[in-house]
Amino acid sequence: MNEQTLRSRIGVHGTLLILVVWSVVPFLWAFQTSIKFTRDVASKTPVLWGYETTASAYNSFWMKDDDIQMWNVAAYIAVIAAVAAFFGWSGRRLENGRAFFFAAAGVIALGLWQFPNIWRAEDEYDFLINSIIVTVLTMLISLSIGLLAGYGLARYTGISGAVILIIALGFRALPRSAFVLPYFFGATRIDQWLEDRGIAEWDFPLIDVPFIDEFGVLDSKIAIVMALVAVNQPFTIWMFRSFFMDVPKEIEEAAMMDGATRIQAFRKVIIPIMWPAIIATGLFTLLLAYNEYLFVRVLAPTEWTLPVAIVSLTGGESSRTITEGAAASVSITLPIVIVIILFQKHLVKGLGAGAVKG
Amino acid sequence: MADVRLDKINKIYPNGFHAVHDLSLELTDGEFLVLVGPSGCGKSTALRMIAGLEEISGGDLYVGDRRVNDVQPRDRDIAMVFQNYALYPQMSVRDNIGFPLRLKKVATDSRLEQVDNAAGILELMEQLDKKPATLSGGQRQRVAMGRAIVRRPSAFLMDEPLSNLDAKLRVQMRAEIASIQRDLGVTTFYVTHDQVEAMTMGDRVAVIKDGYLQQVDDPETLYANPANVFVAAFIGSPSMNLVEGTLTQDGDQWSVELGDQTLRLDESVLANRPALAAHVNERLVVGFRPEDLEDAAVRSDHPADQRLRTTVDVREALGAETLIHFGINAPAVDSGDPDALDELGDSAVARITGRFSPRTQARVGDAIEVAVDCSAMHFFDRSSHLAIT
Repeated sequence: MNEQTLRSRIGVHGTLLILVVWSVVPFLWAFQTSIKFTRDVASKTPVLWGYETTASAYNSFWMKDDDIQMWNVAAYIAVIAAVAAFFGWSGRRLENGRAFFFAAAGVIALGLWQFPNIWRAEDEYDFLINSIIVTVLTMLISLSIGLLAGYGLARYTGISGAVILIIALGFRALPRSAFVLPYFFGATRIDQWLEDRGIAEWDFPLIDVPFIDEFGVLDSKIAIVMALVAVNQPFTIWMFRSFFMDVPKEIEEAAMMDGATRIQAFRKVIIPIMWPAIIATGLFTLLLAYNEYLFVRVLAPTEWTLPVAIVSLTGGESSRTITEGAAASVSITLPIVIVIILFQKHLVKGLGAGAVKG
Repeated sequence: MADVRLDKINKIYPNGFHAVHDLSLELTDGEFLVLVGPSGCGKSTALRMIAGLEEISGGDLYVGDRRVNDVQPRDRDIAMVFQNYALYPQMSVRDNIGFPLRLKKVATDSRLEQVDNAAGILELMEQLDKKPATLSGGQRQRVAMGRAIVRRPSAFLMDEPLSNLDAKLRVQMRAEIASIQRDLGVTTFYVTHDQVEAMTMGDRVAVIKDGYLQQVDDPETLYANPANVFVAAFIGSPSMNLVEGTLTQDGDQWSVELGDQTLRLDESVLANRPALAAHVNERLVVGFRPEDLEDAAVRSDHPADQRLRTTVDVREALGAETLIHFGINAPAVDSGDPDALDELGDSAVARITGRFSPRTQARVGDAIEVAVDCSAMHFFDRSSHLAIT
């Protein structure tokens, strides 16, 4: 290695190191704050090493009782994660392993469902569940609509297709805050209408919607999901359209010649090719829905998701401590970091051009 | 396996473009028909209409006795090989070939057996577990063929299947496809822009230009008796030399004037082309193939009044033959092939190519005499471009 390449390597790695430190340090700081005692956090000279650790911040953020053995909770989470990971791993290894992915999701759902039966959880636990429901629903709906619309717009070359795309882009360009109040007014109007007709009082004995007492849109997860889907749709449509443009039309035509209907050609040939794109777009949608603050705050005054819950911690209206705030931000960040790490390979593959060529 | 019959098929696109005009073709059972034409002539559109991927604007299409105009592609019992192969990238070669059978819900055992059979014919046994992306161009081509033959369809459609291969492989696959087709005996409709493929592979060749069918014949007839100027120029490589000339008669003596030079025509030329005598003193399109020219120094017994005097412009020694390019002072003729290079320079000087014996001593700049085999000349009407026979 000559001197010049050495120097340029040091330069590149040095720059990258600075960037990594720049972005990781705040998170590490929050993490170590969350496991300290308040006295160390509040001390004038920061205690960086050799401090006593405690999980009490997590305890008081998530649990109603303040003297829970957090090791038990950690073990519970670890067991759930291990079983889910096992199913997920098996699903990847086996030829027809799709059922295993559902099993993994089922294990996680079961764990989340049983958690409040074992420990008495704070409201924040409901907000976590809300976050998960909103995120999953937003992803499912956005991806389904985006796939079909993107496919249609990629294959249809007429002028009205271009008009739809431009309108979608314009919609995307408008600031988020411009939509919030209209959505809010819309939701109140719908609720008013439902109430006037007496529909709001209806009992749905067969479909017992667990999180809704009175049938209405405002302050429900439906409102948040619908708003997020609407806001996110231009992005998914554009993403999927550009991915579909890379899939040669001949592949579908070949499938149709081979005896497939258009739907079969789409499901059996096109969708499998699109998996990297679906995962990449799905991850972006997930981030958007999981991190959303504004819409949730306005459209759901009490049905919060985690970001709103965290902001309320630091907003001065809470008597909770700074360690609890740190524990909250670590708790909200970790799941998303894990998901990203699990899927980052697909993310890169999906965003890389020409993934389907050949 | 069945006949395929096109009866006055038309294609008019929504923007009004009339891509195919009254195309009528009949493929007998087991026949290999090649549809050849320059780019943008409507040949792929015709193929896609047979496949059902493109709607038929007018006319009737029959597979066997069944009219299939309004039948879905998957119900036409036709298999297609695409130019870019259109393999399913996420599936192994085995699954690619077996896909049509899976859609037909063929039992797994029999499916795998049929896939193995097809792979055996195509020498793909080693590749069965690979993904298409790891295969070479020729292997992908074979997989696409396998996917078509495993279905045992009534007919194959092939849309320029060799155009993505390099030249050497193309020659090899050409022979292979032709022999597989012969072995299976499946009616095949093959589209290409390459007249060499057309001539070597087809039982019959249909030449199409601007959506109009020009001529359908077996390769030999097409070469020997082109129906018009376009077919004459399109079939054969290097292509036929086409110049304007005048047919003259002096007593029993017929000759053709090419600019300032005159070639005497033997009586047999007139005898074999009864319609020609009526065109005396008319300007005609005169065509002669490069192989009907020879260096007069090599063929010294050639009559002196059937020679052209000229100077050599370009010499290409190919080993088995030497191509000599030269000009003569007669107007060149545009055959109407959009893929052909524009005539270089002055169109009053026609560029002529001769395929000479390698024994020729002619070098660039030499003044030479070129012996013309006048009995093999072609004559075409100057305005209609139709052959005069």
